Amino acid sequence: MASNYPPPFDDPVEVREGFLCPLCLKDLQSFYQLQSHYEEEHSSEDRDVKGQLRNLVQKAKKAKKKLLKREGDDRTDTGAQERYESFSYGGVDPYMWEPQELGAMRSHLSDFKKHRAARIDHYVVEVNKLIIRLEKLTSFDRTNTESAKIRAIEKSVVPWVNDQDVPFCPDCGNKFSIRNRRHHCRLCGSIMCKKCMELVSLPLASKLTSASKEALASHTSPNSSPNSIHGSRRGSISSVSSVSSVLDEKDDDRIRCCRHCKDTLLKREQQIDEKEYTPDIVKLYEKLRLCMEKVDQKAPEYIKMAESLNAGETTYNLEHANDLRVEVQKVYELIDALSKKILTLGLNEEPQPHPKTLQLQRMIRYSATLFVQEKLLGLMSLPTKDKYEELKEKRKQEMDRKLHMERQATLETQRRLEEKQKDLVSRSTAAPNGEVPYPKRGTVKKSEGWLPTSSLPRQREIADPLLQQIDNITSFIKQAKAANRLDEVRMLQENLRQLQDEYDQQQTLKAIELSKRQAEEEEMQREQLQVLREKEWEREQHKAMSQHSRTRSLDFREVKQHQHESGKENLNQIAQSLDLDTTQMKSSPSSKTPSPDAVQKQVPKENSVFPIKPREGPQYIRETDQNQTLLLNPFEDEADTSQVEDPANTLARDSSQVVSLPTKALHSDKKEYNPFEDDEEDQQTNGATVYAPNPFEDNGNSFQKSVNDQNSGNPFEGLSSTNPFEVDDNEISGEDIIEEELLLQQIDNIKAYIFDAKHSGRMDEVEVLTENLKELKRTLAKQKEKSKC
Amino acid sequence: MNVVFAVKQYVSKMIEDSGPGMKVLLMDKETTSIVSMVYTQSEILQKEVYLFERIDSLNRETMKHLKAICFLRPTKENVEYLIQELRRPKYSIYYIYFSNVISKSDVKSLAEADEQEVVAEIQEFYGDYIAVNPHVFSLNLLGCCQGRSWDLAQLSRTAQGLTALLLSLKKCPMIRYQLSSDPAKRLAECVKQVITKEYELFDFRRTEVPPLLLILDRSDDAITPLLNQWTYQAMVHELLGINNNRIDLSRVPGISKDLREVVLSAENDEFYANNMYLNFAEIGSNIKNLMEDFQRRKPKEQQKLESIADMKAFVENYPQFKKMSGTVSKHVTVVGELSRLASERNLLEVSEVEQELACQNDHSSAHQNVRRLLQNPKVTEFDAARLVMLYALHYERHSSNSLPGLMMDLKNKGVSEKYRKLVSAVVEYGGKRVRGSDLFSPKDAVAITKQFLKGLKGVENVYTQHQPFLHETLDQLIKGKLKDGQYPYLGPSTLRDRDSVTLWGAIAAQNPGSLGML
Repeated sequence: MASNYPPPFDDPVEVREGFLCPLCLKDLQSFYQLQSHYEEEHSSEDRDVKGQLRNLVQKAKKAKKKLLKREGDDRTDTGAQERYESFSYGGVDPYMWEPQELGAMRSHLSDFKKHRAARIDHYVVEVNKLIIRLEKLTSFDRTNTESAKIRAIEKSVVPWVNDQDVPFCPDCGNKFSIRNRRHHCRLCGSIMCKKCMELVSLPLASKLTSASKEALASHTSPNSSPNSIHGSRRGSISSVSSVSSVLDEKDDDRIRCCRHCKDTLLKREQQIDEKEYTPDIVKLYEKLRLCMEKVDQKAPEYIKMAESLNAGETTYNLEHANDLRVEVQKVYELIDALSKKILTLGLNEEPQPHPKTLQLQRMIRYSATLFVQEKLLGLMSLPTKDKYEELKEKRKQEMDRKLHMERQATLETQRRLEEKQKDLVSRSTAAPNGEVPYPKRGTVKKSEGWLPTSSLPRQREIADPLLQQIDNITSFIKQAKAANRLDEVRMLQENLRQLQDEYDQQQTLKAIELSKRQAEEEEMQREQLQVLREKEWEREQHKAMSQHSRTRSLDFREVKQHQHESGKENLNQIAQSLDLDTTQMKSSPSSKTPSPDAVQKQVPKENSVFPIKPREGPQYIRETDQNQTLLLNPFEDEADTSQVEDPANTLARDSSQVVSLPTKALHSDKKEYNPFEDDEEDQQTNGATVYAPNPFEDNGNSFQKSVNDQNSGNPFEGLSSTNPFEVDDNEISGEDIIEEELLLQQIDNIKAYIFDAKHSGRMDEVEVLTENLKELKRTLAKQKEKSKC
Repeated sequence: MNVVFAVKQYVSKMIEDSGPGMKVLLMDKETTSIVSMVYTQSEILQKEVYLFERIDSLNRETMKHLKAICFLRPTKENVEYLIQELRRPKYSIYYIYFSNVISKSDVKSLAEADEQEVVAEIQEFYGDYIAVNPHVFSLNLLGCCQGRSWDLAQLSRTAQGLTALLLSLKKCPMIRYQLSSDPAKRLAECVKQVITKEYELFDFRRTEVPPLLLILDRSDDAITPLLNQWTYQAMVHELLGINNNRIDLSRVPGISKDLREVVLSAENDEFYANNMYLNFAEIGSNIKNLMEDFQRRKPKEQQKLESIADMKAFVENYPQFKKMSGTVSKHVTVVGELSRLASERNLLEVSEVEQELACQNDHSSAHQNVRRLLQNPKVTEFDAARLVMLYALHYERHSSNSLPGLMMDLKNKGVSEKYRKLVSAVVEYGGKRVRGSDLFSPKDAVAITKQFLKGLKGVENVYTQHQPFLHETLDQLIKGKLKDGQYPYLGPSTLRDRDSVTLWGAIAAQNPGSLGML
């Protein structure tokens, strides 16, 4: 962990990773240390107290935890919290002062605009009036019109001031006489002397009038006057005549006007010029910014790749990374070249540009240099091909070693579980056939509702609209938290709590109803079963596995009687023959009230398809079995790869989860070992069917979660190289089927994500997700083909 | 309540609001220092601000491809400059931010000048003070008092600075002031007046405990600024001088060209941020570590340069290396100079006597020690004068006061008239007559026993015995023990629930300039 204080602008949510103890957040360097630490320090701690404490610390995270039991997630959050707090004791550090909002401010813009509008209206009207008149004065063919007629037209445009009213030139004060004659401004009608008279050439006039029309067509800039020109005009100012007039009075190619009008017109012309003119520096600068943006996009991507490759991982292709490197470097070169060009702009011209312009150019160049320096710094080099192979080899060895150790640990657990299994069986046989009281059922049911019997995929949860809603809200809470909108979080949590209550209630009701129905059905089926039992009995004797499976799919209550006699043997056999299916087994025989899916399956099956195809059972078990073994191994992969394993995970909002993956995965691993022991104890002491709800739930979910995570990590990256399922060569056959299973699950997940993303309007995410979905589906199709072959 | 962050947020907001494109920051003299204290040039360059111009500079070129962000104090001159600017705009579009309240009539005259509609924004952002550290700000005013009363212009500037501070932190405080100081009262009244006038602005979310603005007068404790300090920032300030985070090293013998002026800013110098409040001995060891760390890096970089790949790696790491070397050389130079000055001026010995003068009540020993030091040729005239000033302040009314003798010694030592005058001036400024509280003799039994125990145990560090009077004042304030008689509330709204007063005092001290503390 960095020892720096987080900078003020940083997002406070940080992710802590490594082998952290879930309870005391101690970093224990390795998985094995953590395991022993956990066993030594925390095995006796009361879980509920711990839970409550944690809730106190992070009320905000409570709802989510309750809902999804995403222990791993939870832990990272606690980590962030802890980290944050650990800095706060300094007291001196100002960054730890309460978050500071932007100071007060007050805008005068509306006031300003009001005053300006009054002034501008006046100004704009003046300008427009002049331009309209100018237009009128130039809209006819001046060269071919007689001067008298011109004068008539000119007089009609603007009334001329009476000669007698103006004895002196208003500008220079000279007296008018026969020599110093009066001249009229054609634009405003005022009088001045010849000296003070200005002329507007026709090209200028046409420029002004046509520009105004453009402005009318598209007035976007604040400079463009909104109420430009009202009258429609024919902009056809035909060719400027070259015929010069002999007559003194006749102006062929110019219009007389006073100084004031000319000033206004010139100002207007300047504005038009500026609007149209883009200096070179702007063009270059725009290009430069584009390049910088590109770097900002590409560089992080490349750095991820390089880190992964340097760690010897196979997530990315070395060549691809190299290409990207070259690309990024090219952009850097471009930035360099562009900024150099900006620096030297106009240096060779005469006259030399204004010193400020040069300064501007220097500063742009300087900032570009800074940019390149800073970014290039993080651009690590890639391993060479040989070196990369070496790295890969090293990594593989490392992984194998870990895998081996993990195996041993697994075996250990298995042995424990087997022992437990014996207890379970004896206990379950001891349990009477009668019903457990209703309330108890409710709780059991609820806790088991979360148990993913590995074949119970996510969609089942999602299928329930309530759960779906809860799911959504949870993700909303997460987002709101990330965005630091605390009040929203609070609101959402309230919402969530209500939903959960609702759901609990619903589940309880369902449970009650179901158990009632079961009781009835039980009666009905008892006779039927009696007949069937004998047949089955034979089959079971032959195939232990199928027996087990049927136990699952049939009503257990009936089967238990058989187990009375043979269950022990059978189950032990199964436990041995099946690698790890103990979770499954434990849940099945012991559940007086089977998990919801079992119930749901059970009902139709009992009614209609009673004689099940014997093959279905074993296959099912095999699947789950493999699934679990599979699960165990990839955890290791995940555990030591850290976030690099799936860096390009496009689910932006999942990124924090991804980073914390090792912890999560690790945790579920650990759960494999420890909670089961607790279960054992629980069950032994309770002697009832109620599982200690927490560990079991946690186990189930972290289990499933890690499956999900794994999926979200790998399929995205292309199944080609790094899929841990494929890396492990010694994996059991039937991979394809499992792959399919996981893929299906993943597809469902992605669908849910898409839904969620659509909901919150992140369309870009939706796109990416859809892409992923397609890819997954394609992979699935391939898998199917393969399995058919 | 981080003032640096508050101003920084304002500046960031201005720049953000103007959108992408090349920008020029148009400022006046004061806002230039305000901005430069919170943003470095490279930081602000990354936000596409490439030029920094003064509004009163005549040598500005028309550059219509730039956007202008104007951050100005709402003074008459600035408004006039801005009107001129808007009449003939040099840049394409203007975002105008005033650092304090601007009058409606000024807004109107600006609006009328904006014939070309180039103004896109006009706002008040209250960053009207110089944020030195997160909890210290200054207004960089000199000579705000003539005698014992305010210079009116400075008073209004101080009040503006304080109200801007309150607005930028979104606080509408209760105000307390030091009764014995008339300037403190005047200032408190001015601030209150502004708050009342601009009540709409000060309408912040009410907190359970209203914040408190405590206005104190520096003259209440003239001792502290006379002592030599031994923490990093304080030493640099005392011995080299810090001006808006800049340190002038040009007088250091044999200084290299690029170290003539260095910037020490906690915002972007990690070493400084971590060490600015540590004492000199600790800095010594820390700087040694820094050097070692740096040297460990250095040979590695140089050794490895055998293959092309190594070269490449070196080039890639070079900027970081260079940055580090910059930090190292800067701090080594500064600390080296500090230690050179300390030994040259015999500061350890001087400081010991200073502390004795400030903290102990043994007149004869103090008098002896001062005399002894005055004979020491290594002690500079400045330090000698300071010793006598401390003596004069402490033993002002002592029965065997021998100030005239010491003054003679000063004169014999060749201390210039300028410094000798200061002795009487400082007594006039912060003598017993002026002080509202007693600096030297402990007031109650608890304090006496404390001092007695301290005497028994011996002092941990002779050079840091003295605790500023401010420490005690604030301590009392937090504990709710600050006497209403000495520090009354302003206005009728006296809050008696003193247990819950949050610490939030701004101390506008008047010497040497206004220094605020949060």
